[in-house]
Parts: sequence; C-alpha cells; structure tokens
Amino acid sequence: MSQFAPLIAAITRHRGVTACVVVSADDGIVVDGTAHVGVKLNAFAALTASLLRKTTRASEAAGFGAVTFLELEATEGKVLASGRGGLLVVAVAEPRVNVGLLRVELRRAVEAL
Amino acid sequence: MIRHSISVGWADAPLKHFVDDARVELAVLMHPSGQVVAQHGFQNRLDVQTACALSAAINATADQLGMMIDGAPFRGLHYAGQARQLHLAQVPLADGMLVLLSVFDEESSLGIVQLYLDELRAALAAAAPPVDAAAPPALAEDFERELNSNLAALFGRK
Repeated sequence: MSQFAPLIAAITRHRGVTACVVVSADDGIVVDGTAHVGVKLNAFAALTASLLRKTTRASEAAGFGAVTFLELEATEGKVLASGRGGLLVVAVAEPRVNVGLLRVELRRAVEAL
Repeated sequence: MIRHSISVGWADAPLKHFVDDARVELAVLMHPSGQVVAQHGFQNRLDVQTACALSAAINATADQLGMMIDGAPFRGLHYAGQARQLHLAQVPLADGMLVLLSVFDEESSLGIVQLYLDELRAALAAAAPPVDAAAPPALAEDFERELNSNLAALFGRK
C-alpha cells in the first residue's frame, strides 16, 4: 500500500466519485490511484495534468497567479483537481456528487501531500 | 539487421498527427540501424542523420544492457533536461521494429507523449507497407547510399 492510499480512499468513499488519482504535475504520470471500470486512468491523468498546466499559464498571464483549484463540469460528470509540491490530486465524479464535500476532502488531501 | 530497403513517405501522415497531438518539437522515426523513415521539426538533413545515429546507438545499448541484466531488451527511455525532454520508444511492426525519438518542452509532458504514442503505434501498423518477401535484401554496402537517398526524399531534394 502506497503512502497515498489513505488519501485516495478518503476521496473515493464519497458517493458519486468514480476515480481518484495522484499525478505527477510535470510529467502527467500516475503515481497512485483507483478508478471504476471504463475510466482510462493513464490517459485521464496525462490530459488533466496538461489541462492544469495550461490553465496555470492562462491564470498567470492574466495576473492571477497559480491555479489552486480546478473544477471542470461536463454533461456526464465533473473533474476536480488541486495540487502541491509537484503532485496533483484529481477526482472524477458523477454529476450527482456533493461538490462542496468533495472540495473540502480534496483540499484536505492536498494539504497532506 | 535490415531485411529490405527502408522506404520513406508512408509514415509521414501518422507522425505529423502524433506531433500535432502530443505537441512535440522534434520527432524522428527510424529503423534500429539508424535509417530514417520519417521526421518532423529538423531543418537540416545532417541533424537528422546525427540524431538517427545517436538514437540507434542508444537503442542498441539499451537492448544489450537489458539482455545482459534482465534477460530482455530494455524498452523506452526518457531523459529530462532543464528545458527539453527526450523520449525514445520502440514501435513494433509486422516486418520488425522501428524507433521513435521525440523531443518536447513544457508544452507537452511524458504522460501526453506516451498517451499519443499508443495511437501512433496503431496508425503506423495500419499504414505500414505490406511485407514483400521477394524484395531484394538490404546490403551493408548500400547503407549510406540509401540513407542519403531517404534524407534527400524527406528534405525534398533528389
């Protein structure tokens, strides 16, 4: 069991969460994670890390500084991501998820990184 | 060993697609011997020739080191420099193996390159010319002439 397992378990126990992954921010490589069948974890991790890097660049260009939290809402689900120290914690959830609770859990997880 | 002459042109479209998707700066697809198959980003044929020779050497070294240490060739190499990163990967085809050298900066990442590499492998397998068992074998004495011919074709000069 990796050092990230408790953090991942705390997020995935929320109703509606279908995946949680710890990703290397620069490389977009999965460090640890778990996902329901149907979520392509490696592809998802690489693309989310890329999205966060590009969002950070946009934010910095606008003079807002680094991105501290990213929430992406799609018709079939949500992606929430936050990171620290070169690592990202990314959660994938169904639309029915309690976003407030999940945000709190994600921030707690990031503090524990 | 090269069984038949290496042809160029057939891999250009899949490689261009990979370069666009993975946002890599430079990409060279080559035979493990160092014969170039397709390239993107290089402006100079000598640079391509050098990149192919060095990549082929690295690939051969990793193959032999892997055999010696682990009983199987080592596959894939990633090196992160200060501004640019290098990724060397193998692309299996029906007629053998090709080697892909990719160079990328902060516009891309190792994860993104690996993600689109899987798509490139499938596209190259589909686009590869059929194996022609009757084709004349490639000979060592023809290596340089074929390399120059392929480079000329890639850079639009005959």
